[in-house]
Amino acid sequence: MQSENDHIINVENLQKTFYSIRGFWKREKHPVEAVQGISFSVRKGELFGIVGPNGAGKTTTVKMLSTLLLPTSGTATIFGLDVVKDTNLVRPRIGFTFGGNKGLYSRLSGLDNLKYFAELYKLEPDAITKRIKELLEVVGLTGREHDRVETYSSGMQQRLHLARALLHDPELIFLDEPTVGIDPVGAREIRQLVKDLVKRGKTVLLTSHYMYEVEELCDRIAVVNHGKVIALDTPAALKAQSSGDCVIAIQTPNGEQSLNGKLESLRQYLTQVHTSGDTLSLYTQTPSKILNELTPLLEQNVITNIEVRNATLEDVYVNIIKNNAA
Amino acid sequence: MSTLSRTMRLNRLPFVWKQMNVQFRMRTLNLLAFGLTVTQPVIFSAVGYFLARTAGRAQIDFIHTIIGSGVMGMWSTLLFTSFFDLRADRREGTLELLVGSPTSIFSILSIRAFANVLLGCVSFLLSMIVAMSLFGFALPHGNFPYFLVSLAIMLFGFWCIGIFLAHWPVVSRLSGLFLNYLELPIGMLTGFMFPVSLLPAWAQWLSMLTPLSWAFKGLSASFQSDIDLPSLWINWMMTLGISLVFLVGTFFMSKRVQDMIRVTGELSSV
Repeated sequence: MQSENDHIINVENLQKTFYSIRGFWKREKHPVEAVQGISFSVRKGELFGIVGPNGAGKTTTVKMLSTLLLPTSGTATIFGLDVVKDTNLVRPRIGFTFGGNKGLYSRLSGLDNLKYFAELYKLEPDAITKRIKELLEVVGLTGREHDRVETYSSGMQQRLHLARALLHDPELIFLDEPTVGIDPVGAREIRQLVKDLVKRGKTVLLTSHYMYEVEELCDRIAVVNHGKVIALDTPAALKAQSSGDCVIAIQTPNGEQSLNGKLESLRQYLTQVHTSGDTLSLYTQTPSKILNELTPLLEQNVITNIEVRNATLEDVYVNIIKNNAA
Repeated sequence: MSTLSRTMRLNRLPFVWKQMNVQFRMRTLNLLAFGLTVTQPVIFSAVGYFLARTAGRAQIDFIHTIIGSGVMGMWSTLLFTSFFDLRADRREGTLELLVGSPTSIFSILSIRAFANVLLGCVSFLLSMIVAMSLFGFALPHGNFPYFLVSLAIMLFGFWCIGIFLAHWPVVSRLSGLFLNYLELPIGMLTGFMFPVSLLPAWAQWLSMLTPLSWAFKGLSASFQSDIDLPSLWINWMMTLGISLVFLVGTFFMSKRVQDMIRVTGELSSV
């Protein structure tokens, strides 16, 4: 059984406000509240996910925890150390990567990048070569280490990022959207590397836009929107929130109004309705009743397609975000 | 010195070398920066030479035309590299990795500034070579040991100023806009291009606040055939003293800079 002391990360009511300048003659500071009182904790050896729409505050949270940003208020401790006051003690014990192709010296080789960062992380000179060799094997870049980073694919660059973050063998690793912009094969390799890290006892905090990714990887997920945690649980528990809902996705090229009020008569059987483009997602526990009513519309071409499936984590996520917005 | 501290010091040498190595490789792989190091001193030498000729001087002022152009090239290289390096780091997303590493940003920027000063030396030497090979100048009879000491002290001054300058692009993305306001005015204020005595009194006072003006006086003095030793010593001491003020001031400023950027979130290029 794990106790409070097993928590590697403790975040209490963390807030971050940025200020943007508006106006030319009369310049005014306009506050932008990126994070508005986030609280959560992460246990040792856990793979914790943060998901949320763009601008929800995921990256800002990760940057505060990785000591790159100072919180406006609230507290965050890592290994019991304050990320604001004990910066110099926290930094050698954490690793972090930010998604995309940034964060590497593209004109240098992968090997030179790793050597450089190994020096910044004060690795013993004798240990550097051995450690880099090990990591190149782990991330599958052996043989390409002498090539310039600018010749690497996005997946290779992301794997190099991961190797860079692991150089000093940190106990805690922050991965901000590690598979963004990577093809499915590359993304799968990254996910496998992340799983291996957890198997080796590392604690990982990961942010992502991909629900299948966090469902596959994470022990627990925090859903963040407008800088607040609006749901936090295991993927299974979050999915259970849909109470066994089934999703009927229908395509109506002429919009919802073409259903001639049919939807209103079905309201009593629907738990949620979401519209995205010409697709209506109907959440229900009695799909047969809905299908009986909608099938004739398919024949009349009012509906061009019907898809029935169990609610996925993505459906639950969309539900949570839309309900929060409402 | 204890064995442990000696070991730690020696252990930092690869770090210093690796930092400088990265700097040199980035510089030589960056055509713009490489061009800057090579072409700036040549341009400054040529401009100085032709201006002096156009003015119809029979005897061209070696110190301000040739040495001054070389030092100006060095200053220019240091100024631009200090700003461009960090700007590139911000653009490439490596600045936040540098700041987030256990090595202080002061250490990183000091080593980079040192590498940039060495690159500035290349500019200086090129300028001299151009002056002698293209324009037929001969080195005046000076005192070589004094010249070497003056040069070393001047490099120290440049290094301290380089560390100070390198912190500004960390503070603000817009600091690069002021580059052109610094390059020539400092060149004039420090006496690289013409004697400071030609400037208005207030500018001469300002000039005394920069270590580079004292350093240049020292370097110029070492080329004189009859060296005024007490005056040379004053120049050296003033250079070292003001440079140290910059160095210590920048050291304390560095922590504030780190905290400031962690508040504003100016580390990335977004």
